[in-house]
Amino acid sequence: MINNYLALSIVLFCLGILGVVSRRNVFVVFMAIELMLNAANLGFVAVSRLHVNMDGHVLALMVMAVAAAEAALALAVIILLHKHKGNLDTNIFSLLKG
Amino acid sequence: MQDIMAILPLLATCAGAILIMLVAAFETFRREGISILGIGLFAFAFFVQLTVENSSPIMPYSAIFNGMLVTSTFTKAAGLIILACGFFSAIAAQTYFTQNRWFVLEYYCMMLFAACGMILMTMAAELITVFVALEIMSLAIYTLIGCDRRSVIRSEAVLKYLMLGAFAGAFFVMGSVFIYAGAGSTRFVDIARAVSEGGFIANPALVGGSLLIMVALLFKAAAFPFHAWVVDVYDGAPMPVTGFMATAVKTAVFCVFANVLLINTELRDGWVGYLFWISVLTMFVGNLIAIGQNNLKRMLAASGIVHSGYLIIGLVAIGSDTVSNGAVIFYLAAYAASTLGIFVALSYLGGEDEKRIRFDDFNGLARVRPYSAACITIFLLSMAGIPPTAGFMGKFYIIAGAFKHGFVALGVLGIISSILSVWYYLRLIISMYFREPQEEFGVSEMTLAPLGTFALAAAVFAISFIPVVI
Repeated sequence: MINNYLALSIVLFCLGILGVVSRRNVFVVFMAIELMLNAANLGFVAVSRLHVNMDGHVLALMVMAVAAAEAALALAVIILLHKHKGNLDTNIFSLLKG
Repeated sequence: MQDIMAILPLLATCAGAILIMLVAAFETFRREGISILGIGLFAFAFFVQLTVENSSPIMPYSAIFNGMLVTSTFTKAAGLIILACGFFSAIAAQTYFTQNRWFVLEYYCMMLFAACGMILMTMAAELITVFVALEIMSLAIYTLIGCDRRSVIRSEAVLKYLMLGAFAGAFFVMGSVFIYAGAGSTRFVDIARAVSEGGFIANPALVGGSLLIMVALLFKAAAFPFHAWVVDVYDGAPMPVTGFMATAVKTAVFCVFANVLLINTELRDGWVGYLFWISVLTMFVGNLIAIGQNNLKRMLAASGIVHSGYLIIGLVAIGSDTVSNGAVIFYLAAYAASTLGIFVALSYLGGEDEKRIRFDDFNGLARVRPYSAACITIFLLSMAGIPPTAGFMGKFYIIAGAFKHGFVALGVLGIISSILSVWYYLRLIISMYFREPQEEFGVSEMTLAPLGTFALAAAVFAISFIPVVI
């Protein structure tokens, strides 16, 4: 039973990586990163059941708090970029190509 | 009570940040007042860190807060480096703001919060504590890079750093899940016990988890496969922020790296073979990138990659038996003094909107401003590793440690890489001393940054007298 939850967590994490690598819209890339963090949260809760201790639940809450802070900053950056360029495609952000 | 005393520098930094946030709400405090307050708070936190006594200095995990944090002479030295970096970056920022005629009140508050995250990071002995500290630091640094909202380049640099940083952060969390699954806890002491009881290679969850955590840490340390963001982000950030990132962030990340590798000898031995190649590739790829640059800031960013390579040599060769990791922390101090020195000098020599940034823009600096040119030369020679400076002693300790622990090839490659790096450091010295000046290098007002530069030039020599056991 718990194995299935762990497998789901890994699948979600890989979907997140795929989203970050393949999508070109900043907003979708950011959603994919959030998906990766939530996959980890699911993993924490599942492992917590596996080991029968409560640590994992607390850790998942911590990660959620950090993810919320990160989301606040990322959305602000996205609004800023939209003001500058009027578009959110990653291909148009090309001032810093070394 | 003992626990609270041990994290006093952390509390001082955090209280300082909140104080600036509150003070910034009043109309009466403007740019100068807030700048002086920020610099003063960094100095105050530095002295608090200096006075904190460590009751058991050598123990690897003399734990406080029930094993969540550790303090040792290693974390104390790292805290001192971080706060000193903050102090000099704040001095650079004050001058930079005067020259560029823009200012955000929250700048110093964000710097203090970043320093707070870094100090917590050096002390953390539990994976999620590391993650939370890493994010406190990173979120503050993202804000610092993007605080000039008018500039498109700054915003793009934030986007790049934020997306890649959050991606690496997600890897770190997933790695913690695996280690939690494998060891039953995320505390370093419990992980160490689980590894010594059940073995490392036999436990796939531990191997996978530590791989994901290594990826995240190598990303933050700008090591070889994950170095591509560094040059662009450093180039896009304002000058004082670049200096702060290049020195303080690196110190914090390498402390966590050293702490993670100290968990257990078996876990460390499992990764040393890979870290060997990563350090070699980091040094040579960084050198190749640096040689090709025409822009001074990008060259310094690439040289930061090379110095990460030397630090990884330190982690590979030294470690398990020398618990305090003296050579690594010495190298971090030497590197911080010389790199930050150049960034402080550039933030007043760079002129308005960082218009002087290419090698050719500094032609003939020695004729017009001989003292500044001499200081920059000292910093560059220290980074290249020329004898009487701290940079030479740092390289000497690291490479001697590599020879002593049987990593002869690594030591030889480190020497070759440092000979290669002389080429791009000398380029700036040649343009400063042997070309005709084309302009006046006017500085609008006399500010604190020149004093900070001279202090750091003195520090480059002073640090080399600190004794280190390898």
